[in-house]
Parts: sequence; C-alpha cells; structure tokens
Amino acid sequence: MKRNKGMILAFTVPGTLLFASVFVYPIIRTVFMSFFSITEITDSISKWSFNGLGNYITLFRSSLFQQSLWNIFKIWVYGGGIVLGVSLLLAAILTDNIKGKSFFQAVIYLPNVISAVAMATMWIQYVFNSSYGFLTRFFSMIGWTSLAEIQWLDSDNKFWALLISYCFGMVGRHMLIWISGIERIGSGYYEAAGIDGANKWQQFYYITLPLLKGILKTNIIMWSISIAGFFIWSQLFSPLTPDTSTVVPIVYMYFKLFGAESVDIVSRDAGSGAAIGVILCLTIVIIFNLVNRLLKDDALEF
Amino acid sequence: MKKREYHSKKWLKKVKRIPGYIILVLWVSFTFFLLGWVLAASLSTTAEIFSGNVLGFRSGFHWENYRKAWVSANVSVFFKNSFIYAVSSCLLLILICAPYAYALQRFEFRGKKWINNALAATMGVPMVMVIIPLYTIVARSGILKEELSNRMVLILLFVATKIPYTTTFLTAYFANISSSYEEAAAIEGCHPIKTFWKIVFPLAQGGVVTVTIFNFIAVWNEYFLSLLFVNSERLRPVALGLFSMINGMKYSGDWSGLFASVIIVFTPTFVLYLILSKKIIGGITGGIKG
Repeated sequence: MKRNKGMILAFTVPGTLLFASVFVYPIIRTVFMSFFSITEITDSISKWSFNGLGNYITLFRSSLFQQSLWNIFKIWVYGGGIVLGVSLLLAAILTDNIKGKSFFQAVIYLPNVISAVAMATMWIQYVFNSSYGFLTRFFSMIGWTSLAEIQWLDSDNKFWALLISYCFGMVGRHMLIWISGIERIGSGYYEAAGIDGANKWQQFYYITLPLLKGILKTNIIMWSISIAGFFIWSQLFSPLTPDTSTVVPIVYMYFKLFGAESVDIVSRDAGSGAAIGVILCLTIVIIFNLVNRLLKDDALEF
Repeated sequence: MKKREYHSKKWLKKVKRIPGYIILVLWVSFTFFLLGWVLAASLSTTAEIFSGNVLGFRSGFHWENYRKAWVSANVSVFFKNSFIYAVSSCLLLILICAPYAYALQRFEFRGKKWINNALAATMGVPMVMVIIPLYTIVARSGILKEELSNRMVLILLFVATKIPYTTTFLTAYFANISSSYEEAAAIEGCHPIKTFWKIVFPLAQGGVVTVTIFNFIAVWNEYFLSLLFVNSERLRPVALGLFSMINGMKYSGDWSGLFASVIIVFTPTFVLYLILSKKIIGGITGGIKG
C-alpha cells in the first residue's frame, strides 16, 4: 500500500495540476473579473475598478449584445429542432436493416472530422455563391428560378445560410448518438408489437420514442454545449466586423476583448467579456438542470 | 398460399424502406458532390470557377495550384505547425491521462471524488469561461514573444483543455480491464508503476488509440485557442492559416488556390477517417450512456 501511495501521487499530480491551472483558477478569476471594469485584458488587479453588476446591466442594455443573444437562441432552438429531428429520422432509417449502413453513417458523420473553417469555406464559397454556386445552379436547372435567385449571403438570408450549413455538419454526430440508443432497445419489443399488428410508425412512436428519453437528454445537452461555444461559423460568415444577422455572444466578447475595426460598435472592456463567459456558463447550468428535471427517466427501465 | 403471403410481406417490407434509401442516397450524394466539386475546383483555374465550368477540366488538371498553395501561400508552414501541435499534444495527453485515469479508476484516495466530479463538470464549461485569465497570464509573462515558448504554451493549452475528456474516456476503458494481471504481477514483486506501463497500458491500447484519434482531429482543426494565443504568422495552425487566406482573397483573387488549400487542410483528417472510421464511430457510440 505504501508503494501505491507514491504511485498515486506520481500518476495524479501532473494531470490535476494542469487541469486545475487551466480550469479551476481561471473560472474563479473570470467570475471575479465580471464584477469589475477592466479596460485592457492585461491590466493588473490594481487597475481594476469595482463595478458591481454594472457589466451585466450594460451588456443587457446593449442592442448588439441583445441581438447576439437572440441569434444564439434562434440557433439553439431552430438548429436544435432541425439537427435533432433530422438526425433522429436518419437514425431511424439506418437502424431498419438498411444495406450499407456503415457506409451511410460514415459519410454522414464525415463533416465532423473536417476543419470547420474548411467546411464553412466550402459552403460560403461554393454552395451559397450567387454566380456559380450549387444552389443557384441546381434550382435554375430544375426551373425554380425564384429559388435560384435567392442571394444567400445577403444580410436578409445570411442567418439561414449560416444555420443550414452549420446544421448539415452537426447531424452526423447526433445521428450516431441516436443510433447507439436505438440499438440498445431489444428487438423483442418490435417483434411483439409486429405480431400485435403495429406498423412501423406506431412501433417508432410507441416503443422507440419513449425509450429514447435518456438519449434525448444526452443529445440536448451535447447540442447546448456546442452552441455555447459557437464562434467559428459566425466569424466566417462575417469575418471582420460584427454583423447583426450573424453576431453571437462569443464574437461580441472577442470584440470586447480585442476591439473591433470600428470602435463605435464595441468598446474594449475585459470585465464585460468575463461577464459574457459567466452568462454562457450559467445558461448551460440552467439548461442542464431543466433537461434533467423535465426528462427524468423514472418509470422506464429497460 | 402461406408461402406466397410471406413473400409478399417481405416484399412489402422492402418497398417500405425505399423512401429511407432515397433520403440516405440524396444526403450522401450531396456530400460527395460538395467535396467532389471542391476537389475539381482546386484543379481548375479561377476563370473556370467563375464561368461555372469546373467539372469539364477543359484546360486540363492544374496541379500547380497545389504547389502554389503549398509554397507561396504558406500552407506548408500551417500544415507543419498543425502537425507539430497535434502530435505532441496527443503524446503528452496519453503520457499524462493514461496514468491519471488508471489511478482514478483503480485506487481509493482522498480527493478522488472531487477530481472525478470536477473532470465531468468541466466538459460542459465553455472555453470562453477560462480564456480571459489565461490570456492575461500568458500575455503579461511575455512568453508569446519567443517562437519556441509560444509553441509550447499552445501545446500546453491544447493538452490541458483536453485532459477532462481524455481522462474520462480512459477511465471508462480501464474499468473493463480485469485487475487480476496486476495482482499476479504484485505477487511476483513487480513495482506497480512498472506493472502499469508494461502490463495494463498495452491492454488499454484500443481505448488509447481511439481517444488519440479524437484528440488528433480536434487539435488539427483547432481554431479558437490558436486565434488568441498565436502571436506570429509563422506559428499558425491550418484552421487559422486558412481563415487568414480567406480574408486575403479579396486582394489575391486566387480562388482555385483557396480550394487547393481547403483540400490540403482537409486531407490528413480525411485519410485518418477513411482508415479508422469504424474505430471513430465506435468511439462515439460506445461512450454514450442513455
């Protein structure tokens, strides 16, 4: 046992130290910073001035920040609906004795291993391009000129372009999560239901869905965590200045910390930047608790 | 009669799957078309891209786009950087997290529960919650001025931020390895540290490989931390390099070069995926609890 003690120390100290210095200490300091007014991110504590809830109040009054919250909320709700819905549909199809299942799921998951910058570039520079783009070409080929003429990257449509292209890549991961849940439901339930004359849709509705509550929970939490870190896609759709149609809290925070091209839009303030981090983190905690409470898998055991 | 009914039922079942196949085939075709078009565009000229004649290859294959992207657009530098970051982060992560996960799984000690909870909780903490203090420390210390120390800071950050995921993943893996080997080794008088590296670690190879693939892909494609902590153009990883190229497109106008760079950036993880997609997909579905 004595030998184990030294070993436990040797095995746990490096990991714990690194982990604590990158997570524990910074989280505490970020919370602390969010109550201070700090012009430069590198300012020492002596230059901070206490601001109480001032940072939070100013943030919620700023129309650009409100817009960023509204955008991220729309991405969370609409995108969540699209991604979880489509991925569940694909998972339901793939678990129904489909030939070439592993091929299909590998291709659908593929965007997840590609750099988001490369993925977004393909969408922005090709799919949504107004002269040689995929959508324009495709819709004019099948004769839907009104759809072919849509300017996807105009400020009116940019948000939807962003949402669609982002969701396309996310479907694969959630599909795999659904599949792992569906495959754990024994085939016995379906056989019994089949004998009783339940059709595919009834089986899906009455057996699969109720038993997937736990997996739905996992999916919602994973989706929410990804959305809380939503940044690259927004930056790629509006690279240099925050654009009201695609701005999200982290983009706003980035400009708060390092300044935007035009100072009028966002003034530099690291304290508000920290407050944005705290707001996002609290939102995740709230969602986590809500989801756990609403989707309590109490009665079902399988 | 019965046999025929059975056959028609089976046939009916197959017919009912047709809409599903149609959806899958459309989805997959779109993915292939998208990637195929980008590949074709990377081998054509900017003029051909704008006239919409990418798939004809009327002026032949322009392999020089790749040479230009690799040499003059600095993609080789970004590529080398991402490679250095990804390989060293993955190695360090295994060196740190495999013993860490093993100790957390096998032994009882004070603070273990606290560590486990903290590791699980931080997987849900958005990066923005930690980057400001980290940036302050790093920027004030002046270590970003030196190229080597800047690289080391980046690697350390990649490692530290991936510790919760890697450790949790490996802890679950060690739980499935029987402790009878260690008991036997202890009776033989083998030191537990030696036992771990010589006996248990090789048994955990499957988990180590899977988690390393995920870490490699994540670090290779990393963007946010590099955006904040890379101080010089020469240290940019691929995602950041590509982003700066896109912003420069307005001036350079070399669209075929851009698509060639996209293909170069995308190739390593794509090849890895081609070879190891079974392991990658298994790694996602295996780690999920309903």
